[in-house]
Amino acid sequence: MRDTRIRRIVLDTGIAAAVVVAMGVARGVYSNELMLFNFIIFLTLAQGLNIIYGFTGYLPFGYVGFYGAGAYGFALVVMHLHAPAMIGMVAAGVAALVLAVILLPLLRLSGAYFAIASMAAAQAVYEIVANPDLEDITKGPYGVSLADVFAPAFSYYTALAILAATLLLVVWLRNSRFGMSLQAIRDDSISAAMAGVSVVRGRTIAWLLSALIAGLVGGVFAWHISVFYPDTAFDLSVSIFATVFLLFGGATTLCGPLLGVFILYGIYNVIGIAVPQYFQFTYGALIVLLVLFLPNGLVSLLTSRGIRVP
Amino acid sequence: MSPDPLLSVDGLVKRFGGFRALDGVSFHLHPGEVLGLVGPNGSGKTTCINVICGLYAADGGSVRYAGRSIIGEKSHLLVKAGINRTFQSPRPFLSLTVRENVEVAAHYGDPRPGFDIDALLALLELDRVAQRPAAELNSAQQKTLDLARAMATEPRLLLVDELAAGLNPAELSRMAARLRALADGGMALLVVEHLMGFIDKVTDRVVVMAAGREFFGGTLADATRDPEVIRVFLGGGHHG
Amino acid sequence: MLIGAIIAGIVFGLYYTLVGLGLNLVFGVMRIVNLAHGDFLMLGGIAAWWLFTTLGLHPLASAGLVIVAFVLVGLPLYYLVVPRLLRSRDSEMLSLILFFGLSQMIEAVTTIGLGSTERSLPPRLLGVGPIILFGTRLPKAWIFSAAASAIAVLLVYLYLYRTRLGTLTRAVMVSRDEALATGIDVNFVSAVAFGISIALAGVAGVFAPFILGSITPNMGVAINITAFAVIVVGTLGNPLGTLLGGIIYGVSLMLMQTYLSSWANLLPNLLLIAVLLVRPEGILGRRVRRA
Repeated sequence: MRDTRIRRIVLDTGIAAAVVVAMGVARGVYSNELMLFNFIIFLTLAQGLNIIYGFTGYLPFGYVGFYGAGAYGFALVVMHLHAPAMIGMVAAGVAALVLAVILLPLLRLSGAYFAIASMAAAQAVYEIVANPDLEDITKGPYGVSLADVFAPAFSYYTALAILAATLLLVVWLRNSRFGMSLQAIRDDSISAAMAGVSVVRGRTIAWLLSALIAGLVGGVFAWHISVFYPDTAFDLSVSIFATVFLLFGGATTLCGPLLGVFILYGIYNVIGIAVPQYFQFTYGALIVLLVLFLPNGLVSLLTSRGIRVP
Repeated sequence: MSPDPLLSVDGLVKRFGGFRALDGVSFHLHPGEVLGLVGPNGSGKTTCINVICGLYAADGGSVRYAGRSIIGEKSHLLVKAGINRTFQSPRPFLSLTVRENVEVAAHYGDPRPGFDIDALLALLELDRVAQRPAAELNSAQQKTLDLARAMATEPRLLLVDELAAGLNPAELSRMAARLRALADGGMALLVVEHLMGFIDKVTDRVVVMAAGREFFGGTLADATRDPEVIRVFLGGGHHG
Repeated sequence: MLIGAIIAGIVFGLYYTLVGLGLNLVFGVMRIVNLAHGDFLMLGGIAAWWLFTTLGLHPLASAGLVIVAFVLVGLPLYYLVVPRLLRSRDSEMLSLILFFGLSQMIEAVTTIGLGSTERSLPPRLLGVGPIILFGTRLPKAWIFSAAASAIAVLLVYLYLYRTRLGTLTRAVMVSRDEALATGIDVNFVSAVAFGISIALAGVAGVFAPFILGSITPNMGVAINITAFAVIVVGTLGNPLGTLLGGIIYGVSLMLMQTYLSSWANLLPNLLLIAVLLVRPEGILGRRVRRA
């Protein structure tokens, strides 16, 4: 028993480490840093979404709200207080956590209602940030520029560190009693309570962790990209991309979201950038086909045959 | 019988809109005792279990457990305090394995340190399927898993909601023997059941309910001779 | 100013009823959320714009064509995806994802075909000059669109309560399983409801240029949130409640635009969240939906 458990943890950690090392080395050998950075962003967001959707069953369509909150948390502190980037990152995390706490009541809603309410919440935050009346604070729709802290290498490796931490978190959830209790809550919250699990506590922790990850990713995005607009920071396609990568690969696993990002975002970078609409169409079609024919993602080709996928 | 009951339910009321599912039901239960809760459909038996284990909030009356009031306490805390239950239709964690189902309960349900999950699985004859996902079990096995999940929290009070329904005769007598053994080990059991044979085998006493309140308490043998009980079950005088 | 905002709100509310009605009909009958609803609305608007610019067709004629065409699109679409979807484990949740995918496909195809520019129709098509209603001056195009919406809502009411198929539709809304057990052709009833729903979105699209100002390929998401807010306020699964939801939404929107105009876009989002949290069963409803 104990041996298989240890073997699983070693395997999962090994996969996580391999991904992080590969993305670190890639920067030295491949010149398109922005593309690699975006890979890190989506690898992390897909896993962050995995924590809330894969382990607790809540799918926030408005996940980008935390990402945007993080980006603006970073930007506001850097712009107005001239704080160093690391303080900005702290602010990014705090901004996402504050938003997550405000939105905690949404966890009372089930399935589709939660998904739509979270999307409305992300839109609401966008409307506030992009409001011309708040130009003095947020620069409204005109966007922010953070040239003072621009540091491509430092921000790249910070993003990599966030990815590493997120992957380890998922490895822990997959191999810990706490992760098991989250899945128990997802399967049947009443039974979970009857196993002594605090349903509210479990969901809240997963929600806050998931929001924190998106907030930090948003912060490091703001730092790395240094000029952006509310339309980019709250772009609903960030949510969509992360959701599709996760669903395509298969939620609740470590490899599923990784595969989803590497395959789909890889294809996107080959064919999608020139005419994004072709890719948008492919995406949409892929979502439809997935829901109809493979609702548990690529990994379910193996897991449905009783094979464990890390 | 020890003088202090483990569970005392007194004048318990639960309303759903204008309907009084529980209308002042009272009974008590001692450690090591098996109390049968019987009555026609809709008489409030399952509602009673749901209120005791904290799923529903009571609208009146009191529930005292181990000397303190537990009205309004959260389910998972009651589980840690030693109350557990099984469900009429079993509710395992379908995506977890059988062993993981029990593991969650044994970790969060605060049994004594060193609780042996594998021994429990062997006792309930679930050891052969321990590594299989719970979704693959048949319904009798899922019911047993429900019991295993409850037992992994080492309850002092176990609420058993129609465990016998759907079991074949061999499974029935095994289940009856298991419940009896739990009571002999000092656990208090409240058993809701329609199968009178099962009630007869398992319980020390029964409380007969109709329309949300009890109107008979005693042995099953006495109950079957009570004219009021006969009227409720056969005459349809009460609307339950 | 207050009276004016309320009058305009009611006029807009009738239009928003039309926007939400189809979404609610599908939810009521199939318990699924058609997140491509807003995109079908957009397609209706594009159709009206195209029919006017190429053939000079009046929006009212376009509306007729759109109804026929969209029912013909809706029926096969139903049979293609919905029965399979309804057999799945969590069809309500999966429907959200599936139709989201469809919405992305529609948006992409429209953008590829027509570009992402705004398209509008001249308001004079629906009459020149204002109409004075209780002392409030309103453009004729608004009144016209609201009246057309009211007629569409009335027709849906007559369908549901005065026809045999409508009665069967209401039976399926009460319980799909029991309707199936009594021998109702649930699939056919649902397919017709789905077709009607798509057609309602299309008609709402035809009048969108006059009420919303313009049509863009990516307007679907915002419309979906608005439509969802309308039907959640007016009770999910209750098509008549949509009228109440639409009018509450229209009046609050006009009040926001009158007194807090730069924050008016926040309204559908906040209204939706607030109603879901405070009264998830809607204003008329009794069913509580909680996790």
